[in-house]
Amino acid sequence: MTQNVKKALAALCSAEYKKQRIDNGEFDMTEALRGVPKKLRRLPMLEAMLDAEKPILWEDDLFGFHRCNKKTPSYVDANGKRIRSNGGNVTPNYAGAIGKGFDAVLEEIDAKIARFADDEDRVEFLETMKQYVAAVYRISDRYRHAAEEAGNTRLAEALGRVPRQAATSYYEACVFFKIITYTLRCASYYHMTIGRFDQYMYPYYQSDREKGISREELLEITELFFISLNVDGDLYIGMQQGDNGQSMVLGGYDKHGNSMYNELSFVCMDAAEELSLIDPKINLRVNKTTPDEIYEYGTRLTKQGLGFPQYCNDDIAVPYLLSIGYEEDEAWDYTVAACWEYIVPNCAFDVPNRATMNFPLMVNNAIHATLENAKDFSEVMEAAKAEIAQECDRLRAFWSPLQNPATINRNYGYLSLFTDGCIEKGLDLSMGGAKYYNYGCHGAGIATAADALEAVRTVVFEEKSVTPSELLAALDADFVGYESLQNRLLSCPKMGNNVDTVDTIAGELMGAFDASLNRKPNDKFGGVWRAGTGSALEYIQSAKRCPATADGRRAGEAYGCSFSPAITTRLNGPLSVIRSFTKFDLKRIANGGPLTLEVHDTVFRNEEGEKKVAQLVKAFVMLGGHQLQINSINRERLLDAQEHPENYPNLIVRVWGWSGYFCELDRVYQDHVIQRTEFTV
Amino acid sequence: MTGRIFSIEEFSTYDGPGIRMTVFLKGCPLRCTWCHNPEGQTHGVEIVRSPNGCLACGACLKMGELETGSPCLVPASVAVCPRKLIRLCGEDLTPEELIARIEKNLDVLNMSGGGVTFSGGEPLAQAGFVEACMRLLRGKTNRALQTSGYCKPEIFSRVLAECDFVLYDLKLIDDAMHRRYTGVSNEWILENYRTLAASGVPFITRIPLIPTVNDTETNTRAMAELMRSCGVDRLEILPYNKMAGGKYLMLGREYEPGFDGSVEPIVRHEILSEYGIEGKVL
Repeated sequence: MTQNVKKALAALCSAEYKKQRIDNGEFDMTEALRGVPKKLRRLPMLEAMLDAEKPILWEDDLFGFHRCNKKTPSYVDANGKRIRSNGGNVTPNYAGAIGKGFDAVLEEIDAKIARFADDEDRVEFLETMKQYVAAVYRISDRYRHAAEEAGNTRLAEALGRVPRQAATSYYEACVFFKIITYTLRCASYYHMTIGRFDQYMYPYYQSDREKGISREELLEITELFFISLNVDGDLYIGMQQGDNGQSMVLGGYDKHGNSMYNELSFVCMDAAEELSLIDPKINLRVNKTTPDEIYEYGTRLTKQGLGFPQYCNDDIAVPYLLSIGYEEDEAWDYTVAACWEYIVPNCAFDVPNRATMNFPLMVNNAIHATLENAKDFSEVMEAAKAEIAQECDRLRAFWSPLQNPATINRNYGYLSLFTDGCIEKGLDLSMGGAKYYNYGCHGAGIATAADALEAVRTVVFEEKSVTPSELLAALDADFVGYESLQNRLLSCPKMGNNVDTVDTIAGELMGAFDASLNRKPNDKFGGVWRAGTGSALEYIQSAKRCPATADGRRAGEAYGCSFSPAITTRLNGPLSVIRSFTKFDLKRIANGGPLTLEVHDTVFRNEEGEKKVAQLVKAFVMLGGHQLQINSINRERLLDAQEHPENYPNLIVRVWGWSGYFCELDRVYQDHVIQRTEFTV
Repeated sequence: MTGRIFSIEEFSTYDGPGIRMTVFLKGCPLRCTWCHNPEGQTHGVEIVRSPNGCLACGACLKMGELETGSPCLVPASVAVCPRKLIRLCGEDLTPEELIARIEKNLDVLNMSGGGVTFSGGEPLAQAGFVEACMRLLRGKTNRALQTSGYCKPEIFSRVLAECDFVLYDLKLIDDAMHRRYTGVSNEWILENYRTLAASGVPFITRIPLIPTVNDTETNTRAMAELMRSCGVDRLEILPYNKMAGGKYLMLGREYEPGFDGSVEPIVRHEILSEYGIEGKVL
């Protein structure tokens, strides 16, 4: 690590920079926006924000664009609701802008204005886009002056070129990226993901290398850039601190099977390893042919306790995306949204986590409705599948813009500038400018659901040791007074222990989910639905709404996170887990959602242990797993950190698809991570 | 024939090359005072209660009260814990049953250059069972034995003939000290070690390094001497684990190691290198 990097890292950690911020309350613009039509409101909001921002430059700051105002503008709508957020969970086309420069974008817009001259709406939209660019120029010019005054010639020179013109070096490209991501966040977009950084930045990197710039120099720029992505993290929160969507996807394969890993992929991994910060959150695209070296590289990051990389399997993700209807080049260019949602970059405005399939609740409904009179287990099973199908219909209707106009938010948004098709068609992102408008659906608690059915199958139908009414009474009583029965239910086979009966049940439930949801229309610009295995925070939230389940879980207790065993399952070990979770053909429900493995941090005490973890990840991929995240955990340390958070400011854990600082999480998420470790060996 | 097993670990990282499943056999003739697997010492089935997540509802102790008159854990307690935190430690399996469990994972084990390790307790205390299992696995995967080396030399040779890899623990060279801290003589252990070294079976020599007990200059020198005479130039060192006492509580036993566990054990690399031995701390 160079002196410059150490200095920037110290500045980040000291948090002194936060003292320069302005507390602007709610940055309320209700008055200013009165009478302004909804579609035109976002422009004055971003203008007001950017014009209120004052340049903040750290000593020898290579990037700048730190937030000054604590809050972005908001207004209160006719229903009394405060409106601020502007959508998210997409990968903007950074590369397009960085490769052209905004002056060229303005020319394109002018050409379109000339072409659509008779269409008032389109011209109005395109004119708005020009105003956005003008506002960005104003703030970047102020930063350029500030850099000049501070004698920071490097940044000043870069800002003399970008964002007006195309970047001509890796450094300029990073500055341009920073301007885009900063301004998008000022426009109240959240979860703007980074995407395949090592691919779209590689031309600049490679050209620098050809000019004789060393790997070390470019590593330093990368590290300073990564540090800048961690600045103001407290202002860019999602559902929890750390959930800020800055996912970076490295490597992968093209449609001919060629590896896309390049020197920049490894520079990014080196930078992440040296810095040990939560951003960017690294994902590695792998497949059956991935060499051990990549897994070993990744495992070194896991060893750092960063909770990443997350592994994404091209062999599963690409065929799934093709089955949904994305074009070949787009599917092979896939990336992940904020956490793990497989999305295509640049041209889509998908909402990959629109709804949640609460699997255990469906199973519970089926058990309550059919168990008393069911002749055999298959009747209960069929009822569970029917519940899932009905729920899919209900969710589709609920989220259909035809039936629920509240899901439409028509405005001329800044993000349209970074979405292919919008300028070309003269249409905003929210009005059909993008190519895809698909919705994704979580699948929460699959293991709990399968375990519940397996327990019913075992004790009611196979052993006949428990009567239907006894079981239903125990569930209604939340097992109070039925502790022995609860124990018996907890002793039945569980998903995660490589038992075919229960794994097959899980497969049938997922099959029903696939058949009832995938490719069904969502009534939004030709979009369709996508079914997945993720849960986001629904492993806590949806679980709260689910009463006691037949696997022995009490009412309200959390499910496993995303695609993971129930947290009360005593596991045989990771080999059984990866087998249970790869039996189903995951190409059928690959909206995304990883298996989480907890590995005790002592495994990483030596190189041999590291290699073994790498082999475990490889085995998961070879068996057809779709996505994997690994936590290197030490239970005692986590418990101590709850008691003495002051001693653990940098303790990082993987939560539901992102890495966060343990001490900044709400207690319920801390407890879940700890509970997951109870059965780690 | 059955063997008594107290645990099957699917991803053990210190028991040989690659991803390994390790079978822990219950029962050990040694009583090393520092033992961190006390559930492996006795051959009898024991009751284990995990402290994490206990609701303190008392259902388990009530079963003991019904049976014995005093609140304690009894086998019947296992079935009443609403959190399923109590289990019996010790399961009897035939070689075929055990191999069936292992075979489910053979592809992954072999893909990583790993295999199966028989550990304990002391696996050679159930030598017939281990030998039978290893025979069933012959040619299918890498078979390793992790042992203290304490058994009759003719039995050791028989099992060794089925091994692809051995992890061999040496503790103390002085027999009186060995008896004091492990409860048995090291005569067979030293003889079997020489047999192993001459056998051509690949092996690793290990020492659990216990402060003030076997990290002394005398013991280090004596061990290095023995290793050199056997042509061994590598030693894996496992420093004493201060958390070792944790499991005793779960078994309701006292932990009395008989030495000061708070002292860091001394790794004497300089002595080892005098004998041309590279020491690697794990």
